[in-house]
Amino acid sequence: MTEGRTEEVIKEKLEGRFGTNLSNWTIQRKGRLYVELPREVLVEVVQFAKEELGFDHLSTITGLDAGEHLELIYHLFAKGMLLNLKTKLPLSDPKVKTITQLFPGAEPYERELEDMLGATVEGLPPGRHYPLPEDFPPGQHPLRKGWKVSDAYPQEV
Amino acid sequence: MSKITIPLGPQHPALKEPGNFMLVLEGEQIVGATVRLGYNHRGIEKACEDRSFIQNLYLIERVCGICSHSHTTCFCMATEDAAKIEVPKRAQAIRVLVGELERVHSHLLWLGVAGHEIGFDTLFMYAWKDREQVLDCLEMISGNRVHYALNTIGGVRRDITLEQKAEILKRMDILEERTQYYIQLATQEPTVLARARGVGHLPTEEAKKRGAVGPTARASNVPFDVRKDDPYLIYNELDFKVITSDSCDVFGRLVVRVFELLESFKLIRQVLNNLPEGPISVKVPRKLPAGEGVGHYEAPRGEDIHYVRTNGTEKPERVKVRAPTLANFSSIAYMLEGGYLADVPIVIAAIDPCFSCTDRALSISTSTEGGYSLSWEDLRKMGIEFYRSRGLDFSRIAK
Amino acid sequence: MLNKLVNWARIKSPWILHFNCGACNACDIEVLDALTPRYDLERFGVLLKATPRHADVMVACGPVTRQVASRMVRIYNQMADPKFVVAVGTCASTGGVFNGCYNVLGGVDKIIPVSAYIPGCPVRPEAVIDGVVKLLSSLKQS
Repeated sequence: MTEGRTEEVIKEKLEGRFGTNLSNWTIQRKGRLYVELPREVLVEVVQFAKEELGFDHLSTITGLDAGEHLELIYHLFAKGMLLNLKTKLPLSDPKVKTITQLFPGAEPYERELEDMLGATVEGLPPGRHYPLPEDFPPGQHPLRKGWKVSDAYPQEV
Repeated sequence: MSKITIPLGPQHPALKEPGNFMLVLEGEQIVGATVRLGYNHRGIEKACEDRSFIQNLYLIERVCGICSHSHTTCFCMATEDAAKIEVPKRAQAIRVLVGELERVHSHLLWLGVAGHEIGFDTLFMYAWKDREQVLDCLEMISGNRVHYALNTIGGVRRDITLEQKAEILKRMDILEERTQYYIQLATQEPTVLARARGVGHLPTEEAKKRGAVGPTARASNVPFDVRKDDPYLIYNELDFKVITSDSCDVFGRLVVRVFELLESFKLIRQVLNNLPEGPISVKVPRKLPAGEGVGHYEAPRGEDIHYVRTNGTEKPERVKVRAPTLANFSSIAYMLEGGYLADVPIVIAAIDPCFSCTDRALSISTSTEGGYSLSWEDLRKMGIEFYRSRGLDFSRIAK
Repeated sequence: MLNKLVNWARIKSPWILHFNCGACNACDIEVLDALTPRYDLERFGVLLKATPRHADVMVACGPVTRQVASRMVRIYNQMADPKFVVAVGTCASTGGVFNGCYNVLGGVDKIIPVSAYIPGCPVRPEAVIDGVVKLLSSLKQS
């Protein structure tokens, strides 16, 4: 982690390596950088950020239902800066590759994407649901917009 | 030696919280551990989308009863970033004050619970009695001992009076003196050292690789503290140290927390003696402009992160909460493996797990291949007996 | 006659099983706090037990998440008669702030019978003591 890094410097280095793949840059304020990229380059960008730019901590992965697609945000942290990498997954094919080989701690965050949004994380080792109960009706993803309790438990409402 | 698998739980050691761990044993040693989460999942993130921002403050507060202020402050910071709201200095200072008071109460609570786990119930009683001092301070400022509801979007709801300031300072002096006793206990009392040294080993590289946060990471010499690494509120103007230990074990986690108490007293005094003048909040519209923000906060257990997306209405589009204990998860399995069954309660307790924060789940298995299952209480007692038979008896500590 | 003796013994020192059914921990720590020196529930003979078989009163905190529900019923069934359940806190009483959340059933009485409700978010230790004393005196009358 080098001292004297600024948001501009990080942006330049990422653009230098990934160029046109990155879009919609936002430097919201000091220490907050947002950028969009296609899922095909996600793992590479995360690896580059970790190994070359010092972002050696994954704070969490946010997933949300943006209507036309699912949006994932990978929040990477290095001293003084949160790098938020956004990627879109089409609803027809909501797949993304795992980053647990780079960040073993990502496992629960990726499982949450599967349980709550119905995404599929390729390469995630098999394991129990998180955070939903084992006996939660399959195919039900609470964080999808428009999902209601009655979708999973019609007898209760 | 044959292997047997035992499930533990769901009552977790540190606060009768639901949790589950599957341990594979060979003799007395643990050769495999899996941690399963799930009991506390309530569906908060989904519920947030149906409530206004102010209503969400009350919901987010209840993610966890021990670090409730951490969660609401983090949520406020994320929302304020998203809606480009600037919070007045005085409000920021008050948020820091309450945050540090919360850190003190949380660490004292942990100290008592850790004592209970190793059979040192006197420590539990002392620590919780001292903790009442902090709860009194919090009640004085906010009206409640737990869940202080001090935050609002754009600032805080209550101000600090001069009498309150004097009272808090007085109690900090009392607590500082008591903390000297805890420091001596933690660093010199042989029975404590015997239970804590070399137990729950987590080397620095593993801590970093697995994304450990908070005192757990700092006890493995990873100097990660959001107050220094991504300063928020007025922390960049305050003088305090990040406490680390290169012990990489339960002893390190104990030492880090006890010394952090001293740093918190320092911070509380600085804030109270230099409270900036000015308003305690700004007026904020009901409908917040579309945007997104990330709140980053050092809760007593470690890095807390909230992501909020606003959409121009009075309800958030998305609220994501990742509380600290979840980040420490993959480190637990590492710490348990190779250790003894008798050490399990203290190793788990030492990361100060808050399953409420994390879970929002846990699952329990009743499969008993090998023939037995254990409740936490059984395991805790077993651990205490195991060490008592080797001469470690806390009832011999006089004071 | 024997019944009265047993009843009297139970009233004198109820043994409590504390159960967290998906709570945020605030009520749990206030219940535990009731046992610490400032409030000292133990002077009434109230003891915290770890196994259901030794407990007379289950003290439940939390809105009851789905995962916990069956476990809670099982533990309740393991308790010996006569047994009582105290719902501590607003969540255990009605689901509290989590009412309507998809993974929450909304109150202990949705799955097991409750003898006493102690409101509060969280409850104060004094309210816990008050609730326990009230439960005991209602037992005395029966």
